[in-house]
Amino acid sequence: MSIQEQYKKRVRELLSSGAVKMVIGYQAGTTADRRRPLFIRTPEEAEKLVLDSACIANLSGYLVTEGLLSDEKSVGIFLRPDGIRSINILAAEAQLNPEQVVILGFDGNDKEVTALQGEKARDFSAIIASIKEHAPEAPRNPQLEQIEKMSPKERFAFWQAEFSRCIKCYACRQACPMCYCRRCIVDSNQPQWVNTSSHTLGNLEWNVVRAFHLSGRCVGCGNCDRACPVNIPLRLINAKMAGEVLGAFDHFAGMSETQEPVLASFKKDDSETFIL
Amino acid sequence: MSEPFEPKIVAFVCTYCTYAGADLAGTSRLKYAPNVRIVRLPCTGRISPMFILKALQKGADGVLVSGCHPGDCHFTHGNYHARRRWTVFRALLEFTGIPLERVKFSWISAAEGGKFADFMNSVTEDIRKLGPFDQYQGLINETEAPATL
Repeated sequence: MSIQEQYKKRVRELLSSGAVKMVIGYQAGTTADRRRPLFIRTPEEAEKLVLDSACIANLSGYLVTEGLLSDEKSVGIFLRPDGIRSINILAAEAQLNPEQVVILGFDGNDKEVTALQGEKARDFSAIIASIKEHAPEAPRNPQLEQIEKMSPKERFAFWQAEFSRCIKCYACRQACPMCYCRRCIVDSNQPQWVNTSSHTLGNLEWNVVRAFHLSGRCVGCGNCDRACPVNIPLRLINAKMAGEVLGAFDHFAGMSETQEPVLASFKKDDSETFIL
Repeated sequence: MSEPFEPKIVAFVCTYCTYAGADLAGTSRLKYAPNVRIVRLPCTGRISPMFILKALQKGADGVLVSGCHPGDCHFTHGNYHARRRWTVFRALLEFTGIPLERVKFSWISAAEGGKFADFMNSVTEDIRKLGPFDQYQGLINETEAPATL
């Protein structure tokens, strides 16, 4: 039985037994290589489910939709390891109760997907630990290395060119499972921290703030990067910041549902070479 | 004839240590550069990275952040949190190409009036050498919201 059929069966079981009130998965999208989210409420609807290598979006953001989990019923969700890390972060930040999330885990490359054993976020801790262990030797984005080699002036010019295209649609924020604030700092106008016009200055400020708020929280699922209509390489900034917190504080986001957020904790012997 | 360049520097300081240090510099009659505008805050933990961006947005050529030495925080660990935040924020500034020479951090205690005066002088000199922050000024001018600092 293919993994897709296996999981269809499992979804039907979960829904008909009443173990979950809904399963969030994938269905066919507008083109052959795209998938869109599917919200399955009845066992019959499970027929529409698609699970293959094109299922790349991190669906965990839907769990923090207002009111979804407030009735304390469980919700099933299809997640890759990065999505499971998102669940851990959301749990650590008290945005959801991980007991209410039934994970249908899968992983794979651009050819095929395989099932991951487990049901609750904590069942996947060994997989996440091994991802962390291999993070330093994982192949880095060649463009990231190229940017790091630039002089500050060149980097400034590079990012200005990228950010000048930003139209402030906030699709990156909308797509990100970590951007759950009911009132985002850019929506605040008293004081107005960020220029709201889509001039480059405001775009730079918005992108710096976004990256800062995701430092130590981003799992690199790439939702923001794919959502960006003008193709700003947001993934590069996020990857850079994830590397920084891993290097400076040995913090790998989403290890467990009790992991302290990196910027809400400290060690007395944190490095401070830059402070005069 | 154009006037010689005088850098505009904004210093965000905590009230318990660095501000008291500044006070000591004053009562000790130490002279230091008048280019620094001090913004007093309850704790370095209160200093959001947004403050730094805001200062730059309003036309600052340099920004200083200063607070209590580790272990001296009035609120016991505000400065430890701030230290982590700055480590991350500095890395982000560096990656986006904002020169780190323009954003400086230090620990200055209430007893270090001399260190405060020296630090203000040395930073002012450094930024004077760097010249105006033209890169950022270009962005500010583009927005039609002139710098008001």
